[in-house]
Amino acid sequence: MTTSTAPPDTRREPPETGDERAILLGFLDWHRETLRWKCAGLTDEQLRTHSVASSALTLLGLVRHLTEVERWWFLPFLDEEPEPVYFTDDKPNDDLDALDTVPAAEVFDRLAAEVGRIRAAVAPIGLDTEFVRSGKAYSLRWVYLHMIEEYARHNGHADLIREGIDGVTGE
Amino acid sequence: MTAPPGDRRFPPETGDERATLQGYLDYHRDTLMWKCAGLTADQLRARPLPTTNLSLLGLVRHLADVERSWFRRRLAGEDAPPIFYTQAQPDLDIDPPPDADPDADFAVWRAEVAACDAAVAGRDLDDTFVTRTDTVSLRWLYGHMIEEYARHNGHADLIRQAIDGATGE
Repeated sequence: MTTSTAPPDTRREPPETGDERAILLGFLDWHRETLRWKCAGLTDEQLRTHSVASSALTLLGLVRHLTEVERWWFLPFLDEEPEPVYFTDDKPNDDLDALDTVPAAEVFDRLAAEVGRIRAAVAPIGLDTEFVRSGKAYSLRWVYLHMIEEYARHNGHADLIREGIDGVTGE
Repeated sequence: MTAPPGDRRFPPETGDERATLQGYLDYHRDTLMWKCAGLTADQLRARPLPTTNLSLLGLVRHLADVERSWFRRRLAGEDAPPIFYTQAQPDLDIDPPPDADPDADFAVWRAEVAACDAAVAGRDLDDTFVTRTDTVSLRWLYGHMIEEYARHNGHADLIRQAIDGATGE
């Protein structure tokens, strides 16, 4: 392993004061950008490497997974059915595992496109708005916080995977 | 192998702002304890990943001091100096000495969580306080603590898996 220099950091910090919406969106965007930052400057092969030997997780797998998670939780608020992009009923872990089906550049473009569309479409929807899945109601407020902790937890995985690839660290 | 589910509290799916924030913070506090459950002192002190010196015990000590510094020292203005680290040795929380005692350190963490819950009680999410460089709100602090715990729980996931193969969200 060689230790490289961290890629340039252009992430926007969340606002430190502000209303509920501004803080939630700020933290979510911070973690969306952190995932991209953790992947920056790596080759396709590095992005597909499970550098933590005891885990099958890869950076590219995380990007594919988060694409599914964005769709799964936000599309119901847009009255859209979140059809899977990278997995099937028969192979429910293919988002994390089947890394050779789509080129890495397309995977990053797809997540950026989904995030761009979701950000704009969800913006006017109130945080108390609910949708029902399998008999359980979820508020948009819960979904925002779930997405923050979901990204943050996976970015914790990304921290250790990236460190295992080239030694780069950073919050 | 999947770790036992433990007795974690889950955030309310349709609560108000405060209940949802507190619920997610408590969920991640409980998740950290769940990731440590059923291990020996040596396993808790272990650094099982070759490319990082992180350990589960180091994360618990770190988060005890993170809770204390944000909720008690900065927000509430209490005289609550760091417990596990010093200016001369700023990483002693997350990088514990070989003789660190997990039972004692977990007791410190639990006491800090209780004291921090007491420190936020009666304060409004719009209340602000001043750090060395910035003015921040309690609303921001809840968001920060949730993402801080969640990120470290991501570290805990991979450390635990390397120790005994146990996984689980």
